[in-house]
Amino acid sequence: MKKDCYPILDSRRLIAFMAAMLLTFASYAQSTVSGVVRSEGDNETLPGVSVLVKGTTRGTVTDLDGRFQVEAAAGEVLTVSYIGYATREIPVQGGQTEYEIVLASSMSDLTEVVVVGYGSQLKKEITGSVQTIQGDDLMDIPATQMAQKLQGQLAGVQINQTTGKPGQGMNVRIRGQLSVSAGSDPLYVVDGFPITGDISTLNPDEIQDITILKDAASTSLYGSRAANGVVLITTKRGKAGQSSVALNVYTGLQNVPHYNRLEMMDAVEFAQFKKEYFEDAGRPVPDMFQNPSQYEGQTQDWYDALLQTAPITNYNLTINSNTEKMRTSVVAGYFDQEGVVLNTDYERFSLRLNTDYTASDKLTMGFNLAPTYVRDNTPRTDGSRGTGILFNALHTWPNMPIYDDNGELTYFNRFPSETGNIFAYPNYVRSAQEITNETKQTNLLSNAYVQYEPIEGLEIKSTINAEIRNSKYFYFNPSTATPGMNVAIPTVASSVRDNREIFSWLNENTVTYTKSINDHNFQLLGGFTNQKFRLDRTQVAANTYADDRLPTVQGAININRGSTISDVQEWALTSFLSRLTYNYQGKYLLTAAIRADGSSRFGSENRWGVFPSVSAGWVMSDEGFLNTSDKVSFMKVRGSYGVTGNNNIGNYTQYALVNNTVNHVFNNSVVPGAAITSLQNPFLGWETTQQFDIGLDLGLFDDRIQFVYDFYTKNTTNLLYNVQIPQEAGFGSFTDNIGEIKFWGHEFAITSRNTQGRLVWTTNANISFNRNKVMDLAEGIDRVYGNVHITQVGQPFGQFYGLRKLGNYMNEEDLNSSPQVPGRSTVGSIKLEDINGDGIISIGGDNDDRTIIGNPFPDFTYGITNNFRYGKWDLNIIGSGSYGNELYMRHLFSTANLDGVFNMVQKATERFRSPEDPGEGIFGTTVGGGNVTGIERDWANSNFVWDASFFTIKNITLGYNLGAIANVIKSARVYAAVQNVYIFTPYWGGPNPEVSQQNNGNGDGGNLSQGVDLTGYPVPRTFTVGANITF
Amino acid sequence: MKKINIILAFLGIMLSSCEEFLTIAPETALSSATFYQTESDFEQAVNAAYAPLRTIADNRSWLLCEMRSDNTIYARNINFGATEQQEDLSDHALPEAQGITSNVHVLNQYRQDYLIIARTNEIMSQIDDVEFDQASKDNLKGQALFLRGYAYYELARYFGSVPLHLTPVTSREEAALPLTPEAEIYTQLIGDIQSAVNLLPVRSQQGVGRASKGAAQMLLADVFITQKRWEDAETLLKAIVTSGEYELIPNYEDVFSESVGNKNNAESLFEIQYLEGPEGLNSDFLYAFMPRPISQDELQPITGTSNPQPLDGEGNNIPTPDIIAAYEEGDLRKDASIAYVEIAGSDREDKVYPYIKKYAKHHDLHFNHGINWPIYRYAEVLLFLAEALNEQGKTEEAAGYLNQVRSRAGLDDTNASGQTDMREAIFNERRVELAFENKRWFDITRADRVQEIIGDFGQRALANPQDYYYPEGATFRSNAFTNITKYYALPAAEAEITPHF
Repeated sequence: MKKDCYPILDSRRLIAFMAAMLLTFASYAQSTVSGVVRSEGDNETLPGVSVLVKGTTRGTVTDLDGRFQVEAAAGEVLTVSYIGYATREIPVQGGQTEYEIVLASSMSDLTEVVVVGYGSQLKKEITGSVQTIQGDDLMDIPATQMAQKLQGQLAGVQINQTTGKPGQGMNVRIRGQLSVSAGSDPLYVVDGFPITGDISTLNPDEIQDITILKDAASTSLYGSRAANGVVLITTKRGKAGQSSVALNVYTGLQNVPHYNRLEMMDAVEFAQFKKEYFEDAGRPVPDMFQNPSQYEGQTQDWYDALLQTAPITNYNLTINSNTEKMRTSVVAGYFDQEGVVLNTDYERFSLRLNTDYTASDKLTMGFNLAPTYVRDNTPRTDGSRGTGILFNALHTWPNMPIYDDNGELTYFNRFPSETGNIFAYPNYVRSAQEITNETKQTNLLSNAYVQYEPIEGLEIKSTINAEIRNSKYFYFNPSTATPGMNVAIPTVASSVRDNREIFSWLNENTVTYTKSINDHNFQLLGGFTNQKFRLDRTQVAANTYADDRLPTVQGAININRGSTISDVQEWALTSFLSRLTYNYQGKYLLTAAIRADGSSRFGSENRWGVFPSVSAGWVMSDEGFLNTSDKVSFMKVRGSYGVTGNNNIGNYTQYALVNNTVNHVFNNSVVPGAAITSLQNPFLGWETTQQFDIGLDLGLFDDRIQFVYDFYTKNTTNLLYNVQIPQEAGFGSFTDNIGEIKFWGHEFAITSRNTQGRLVWTTNANISFNRNKVMDLAEGIDRVYGNVHITQVGQPFGQFYGLRKLGNYMNEEDLNSSPQVPGRSTVGSIKLEDINGDGIISIGGDNDDRTIIGNPFPDFTYGITNNFRYGKWDLNIIGSGSYGNELYMRHLFSTANLDGVFNMVQKATERFRSPEDPGEGIFGTTVGGGNVTGIERDWANSNFVWDASFFTIKNITLGYNLGAIANVIKSARVYAAVQNVYIFTPYWGGPNPEVSQQNNGNGDGGNLSQGVDLTGYPVPRTFTVGANITF
Repeated sequence: MKKINIILAFLGIMLSSCEEFLTIAPETALSSATFYQTESDFEQAVNAAYAPLRTIADNRSWLLCEMRSDNTIYARNINFGATEQQEDLSDHALPEAQGITSNVHVLNQYRQDYLIIARTNEIMSQIDDVEFDQASKDNLKGQALFLRGYAYYELARYFGSVPLHLTPVTSREEAALPLTPEAEIYTQLIGDIQSAVNLLPVRSQQGVGRASKGAAQMLLADVFITQKRWEDAETLLKAIVTSGEYELIPNYEDVFSESVGNKNNAESLFEIQYLEGPEGLNSDFLYAFMPRPISQDELQPITGTSNPQPLDGEGNNIPTPDIIAAYEEGDLRKDASIAYVEIAGSDREDKVYPYIKKYAKHHDLHFNHGINWPIYRYAEVLLFLAEALNEQGKTEEAAGYLNQVRSRAGLDDTNASGQTDMREAIFNERRVELAFENKRWFDITRADRVQEIIGDFGQRALANPQDYYYPEGATFRSNAFTNITKYYALPAAEAEITPHF
């Protein structure tokens, strides 16, 4: 019986502990101070002004009359801040309880308080690299997931939408972090709770703000989980003195525009191609293709037949109810999206209840409760040939009928074999409509905290957090449909059910002491935390159904034992953490932090990891010598160094596992078999990233222009890597910490308030350059292969790898004077570079001619957002771009199969046919069949690699503020928005230049094989209208 | 102060129990620390050591042995690429440099053999530390040694010199060993199999389908025949004959396993066991042997399944005209071994292809059957015995055993006389009796006739590609029959990560 490390969760001990805390500190008191905040000049009272007791989390917000009330002791300092005004610090005097505070307007937002790990800090005093986004700024963007809304808005963060499947496919990489086999997703922390499940189920409208922690000094308090960067999400909380009801709603339509779809041959072009194919091969042309023009107007657009214009709707109701003691915020949301591919949809019900209760001067407590229910259905849209409906539909022959003569969907199409039709094509419209691929998730995220301040400046906080996630996955493939190819209908009906239950809990206990002595300001944080995770999973797969209407398990004739499994995954994490923040006059800033993580994932000989960091900043603009300049209103230089880890190494990787399902059979009876299937590694540990960051924050012209620059360099070592070992050992690999990758990059961000007054125009722009280089892999190993990729020492990570195309052999002379693939090259076939100079072209083995042929990673990524406000009108335009990234157009192995087996990309009409008619040079001759065309098709080569730089206008929103309406509506705004307005790109291989699909089976988490285009679910263009109404 | 003490006490409890909190062994898998402790554990371990044989027989042996020989070839489908891996084997066109080949089938055969070796090494290193019934332990050890010997024998015949692992590998450093000369590999495997002969019970006393004394004796005799130790082989083979455990089944067609029935029959010494059904223990080699593209209607009469699906790609292990011609007039085995199917989707003018009929037994599930693969059967015992006797000059005695086999096939007694004639007669008899049972290639290699037989075969094939199932207008690749070797080169994927080759 395992015993929990942490006795607190035993309920009796919990109560005892809390009681002890309360008894110990219950006897101290503070006085209440109150006052009013006015704006300079017009002397109007200001509602919504933040009044914070400096160095504490005690604070409030002024009410509609500009009044506030807060607990503060003499000697403490009130930090009074409001967007657009200069922050003021007011010392609390003994005996004075009423304050009148006047704020001067300012363009600077440096007085903002930013949420950081385990606390918050004045933006001005931050010494790490962080960026904050307000939830309200994202509200109008019609997107399912938070990450979609952040595209283009963050320096140093690359966010790609790799598939348009509703609710899926967001790939977030902070500062280009990568690993060979450990995960590379950032850590998401919701209200202080590092969550373990999918962040995409969070209703974005619940978000108050998001802070991205990029450098090690900012993240090191998250220790062994911080190396990929940390995203802190704070949900909406009630603010003292404000009660409101707000309704946000939008509704609209999505479609897949035509301008950037992959252009396939129409029926006439296809018939013409087939005709030429047979003619060029000297074979008789089948009747079907004798007269291509007969197909004029007869094209069956299989891809288009799978698409639809689909509605999207979002409702959110937010209620803030705030009294002196109780502050409550409730967000209720309903989001409903039908997909642009038939029979796909996504639906989310969500509720969040955040409550803070001030029990006494010294004691506050709070509870968050956030249940969500998410249901989605996407019937195998994505995938390669033979597994993905969209891919298969794309290359179905355009003269095959979608509907039969009676207007019914056909079941499958197959022409006589002499037409070259070697595959039976199921009707993929039917596949999309009839296959169920549904996931239902019920999630509950909850937090509770109690915070006690026994003496001035000392805060003790204890939290308990729980994450419960239940998901039920159901797949049913009826006998009338299939996502596959060459499957006759009726096929074998099959089902998969996968039920998962996740329970994760976290307890955190922190003590914070804040003290100012003269101009020396200190804050010391200490903490102890425990987290545990458990996943219980049961999957049942069955097939051969008597009746498609009853896809129950018991309705199946066979249970597919190989895919019927139960599994438990667990981990535990115990941590100690501490941070010292010091500044002198808010001018010289220093922070040091450390976290020690003990993890069940780490080997018994290597259980604890220690992650320290230090950072410093200097607010140069506070020095006398810069005050003379009225151009530079703010200047801070900062630097940081720290160590963080990546613990995504698998829960049981350290153990030698005995697989007891290596069964055998004797005389028709199954006998149980067992064998060791992995080697143990008691020294297995986390991946270590050391990061150095130097940054400059600059405010010019009274902060009208704010500029942030960061340079970073990172070294990731102890990479988790499944080192291949010779299988003469009986094992394929040994999981070890080896190797090193170096990363470095530059990030620039600028915020400019271009005009003020009647027209307010602000521009935010950012550009990021991320680079990496593999320094070392395992001993004796200098390369790891991905799908069509290589990760090689001395080169950037995950480069496209294959043969380099020079062109086609243009004629006999060219053929005879050039290196060839023995027995396969002919006139008009692909001409490749003889990299090793041995006179022949070959792939693999010792005569390999492969080389690096492309790079899936961009030279730089950038974003630009423009906000305009003119009177009651507002306009917001968000653009996001990437330059220099390439895609491996892998679908060409099928969509440009020169053997005439599939429908083809339209560009293949311009292939090589003869020395006199050499085409555009992209595609070679069809003559010679697979022996010749197979080189171009099956050997990875640079003909597949295409520039996928892009600039996308992600969003345009135009709003109109109606103001108050009668006595009921305090304010109302209506708007119209377009998402994914237009993509500018030279890429022609499909509608989504951000696509990246893995089809390698390497189990490498996909990092080694990025930037592969196998078509996939298109990202729709969305038109919406919406309203924000406050009651 | 008292309150602070309470808090300190809590902290103490937290720290002391951390190691327990942080130790989480997998709940749904066994680990090495808790296994190999009971008789049942070792039974399971031995069962798992048989498992790689299923993969070997289902996917590899027929490529590396039969299609490598002059008995079978692929049936070229020009609409299909990515078929070089199989064609290179059949065409003797393996890419090879410095004794290394990138062929994936060679690689997988190598790895599966070492999987058997690693599993049996684990058993042998631990089984003597655990007390349990001696007879049971002997039986398990005998099976493990039989399997280890079998795996090393495969490796020695395919590759010659290979790494010799006899103890379990426990760390990355121990994984790679230098090549051990072929002779030493043989010394080791003969020792293993000899021990297995001594430890294993006879077939009637052994679990059905498991390695028995007779199987071990036959395996050892096979090794001795390869080594031309004729007298040693004769002793073992005579012991099998006189054991009374085995006999010839009267009708040749009835010798071969069905999907469910006729397994481990009276003629069988050892066969690889499969189970039709969703357990993942099935075979599907019959489907690999179908010329393609074959429609569901063409396939259904052969497989008898209720839900046939068309097969695309390229068919493999198609009987050559050479093997078809090798049967004597009136040989009943010909029609039992080979049948024909017309493929409408073929690009050839002649759309009729032969296929292997021996294993074409009706079953229920598409691409899933339980047909066992024969490794050793009594007919081969007789032919081996004839060979061992003839090589020792006992040609007449040899003829008796040969004629037992011929008689069942509906043929007259051999008219071979003299040792040389008899040698050739036995060589040819083995070809047709054991056709498509992965014997032909090793018969050729151990007779040292690779260049002669395969060279001639290559000449015939290159001269008449249409006879070898190429469509009109298509022919062999220019590198066909350019790399005819006795041994396979070692696999490239292994060479890349071992410092030793």
